[in-house]
Amino acid sequence: MKLLPAGLGLAFLLAAMAAVPQFADEYIVGVALSLAMWIALTESWVLLSGLTGYVSLGHVVFYGIGSYVGVLVWQQVPMWQMIALAGLSSGLFALVVGYPVLRVRGPYFVMLTFGIAELVKFVVIDIEAQLGEFSRLVLGGPSVTDLYYVMLGMAAAAVVLTYAVGRSRAGYALRAIRENEEAAETVGVPVARYKLAVFALSAVIPGMVGAVMAVRSSYFEPSQAFDPVISFTIVTMAIIGGSDNARGPLVGSAFLVILSELLWDRAPQMYMILLGLLLIAFVLFAPGGVTAWRLPRFGGARR
Amino acid sequence: MNILEVEDLSMSFGGLQALRDINFAVPAGEILGIMGANGAGKTTLFGLIAGHARPTGGAIRFEGVRIDGLRPDKLSRAGIARTFQIVKPFAAMSVLDNVVVAALFGARRERRHAAAEARAREILAEVGLEARAGDLAASLTLSGQKRLEIARALATEPKLIMLDEVMAGLTATEVNEMLDAIRAIKARRTLTILIVEHVMRALMRLSDRILVLHHGEMIAEGPPATIAGDARVIEAYLGQEE
Repeated sequence: MKLLPAGLGLAFLLAAMAAVPQFADEYIVGVALSLAMWIALTESWVLLSGLTGYVSLGHVVFYGIGSYVGVLVWQQVPMWQMIALAGLSSGLFALVVGYPVLRVRGPYFVMLTFGIAELVKFVVIDIEAQLGEFSRLVLGGPSVTDLYYVMLGMAAAAVVLTYAVGRSRAGYALRAIRENEEAAETVGVPVARYKLAVFALSAVIPGMVGAVMAVRSSYFEPSQAFDPVISFTIVTMAIIGGSDNARGPLVGSAFLVILSELLWDRAPQMYMILLGLLLIAFVLFAPGGVTAWRLPRFGGARR
Repeated sequence: MNILEVEDLSMSFGGLQALRDINFAVPAGEILGIMGANGAGKTTLFGLIAGHARPTGGAIRFEGVRIDGLRPDKLSRAGIARTFQIVKPFAAMSVLDNVVVAALFGARRERRHAAAEARAREILAEVGLEARAGDLAASLTLSGQKRLEIARALATEPKLIMLDEVMAGLTATEVNEMLDAIRAIKARRTLTILIVEHVMRALMRLSDRILVLHHGEMIAEGPPATIAGDARVIEAYLGQEE
């Protein structure tokens, strides 16, 4: 069992990231916060899409719902309650839409998740317009450093969750569903229940992240909170890092956050071009992502 | 006691009648061979018993309880397992993990991972795949994947196992090995077997009793020797002389 080294590595990474505000300025803390955010989002995505093969191209919907719910209750309840409510709302939303949505697979599921995210975005835009709100200010939040610690906690929770589920009895069931749903059901896996549960579980942390990010950016605007680019970025990070285990999103998120820091101000087009090229290269030549390159691990039992 | 009872079972897909008024019962511990040309309804019958579809008429009883229309995972839990004629391995998972999943779920529902893995290794040894445990399922030959189908079905700890053409596409040597393996598996357990096979010789040697389907209808039922001499069976197989 490689459990111990994996846990140690993770603890070390967490300690290093927790130490960032001690020696870095606010700008760097902001970058670290964004890294933690992408780790939390991508881990949540891998929990669903990496394990079951149901590729969600609309994961931003959970982030957006979390943002919106968070903003609606902002300063009416303590921040931890706001975050919990945001996570709960996204999870509930996933439970409700999951039942019909998870009946389709492959490209239909991809399009459906994308469509639902866009639908919810326009519904929220409409509600806000009816209410006469075009963007809401979210003022009086904690410092960037405090928000960073909250986000880091959620990133760590997401990593642990994906890791734990991936290695559990449920992890076997979810991978079996990914490989062949009919065969999985035939050997006794209650596929509908497992799919719905993991769909809801993968929505909770993105909802919480969305609420924190609304506070971080100090305003809420639906077309930004439900920006499909967030969904695309999550998928890209997962593909580059690898999506069969909890390590992939760490690698993918770190890689893209650093790349974007290096290129975004100086050569934004270059960044997008590089991103496109990388995505194509990985899909074609290394569909398992970076972390699949050292293949025989875990006693050869896992991919 | 009959473990399985099929009464007036019918299945139609749109206008196509795949099965019509099928009646038979299987005593616990029997090996029942099911014979029939392509399209006779053999795989449809397995699908109905395993819960992949709801019959359009009739009833299926397992240990005296109506099961028609129940979901496959419920039936697996109740003790019914099947293999697929067109193999369905969990391709990107290891051979071992394919079987571990079945031991963790199925009728066994092993909660402890180590116990599930130990059981899976025992079963892989029974079907002769122990040396391939760490390899990806996709890397197995057809013969290996058919064995994996059996191992996975066995790992659920079934009372009734349905083998759908596990010998199709195998060489003569492999067929003999498979026959020995199935006999050995049966000897070690309290198991009832339903087996569909195109390899007639194999079916005759293995089955206690044979049931013949033709265009969705049951045209004969009896011990292998009787079936081999049945005029209707010969006609259905070789065609009527003009």
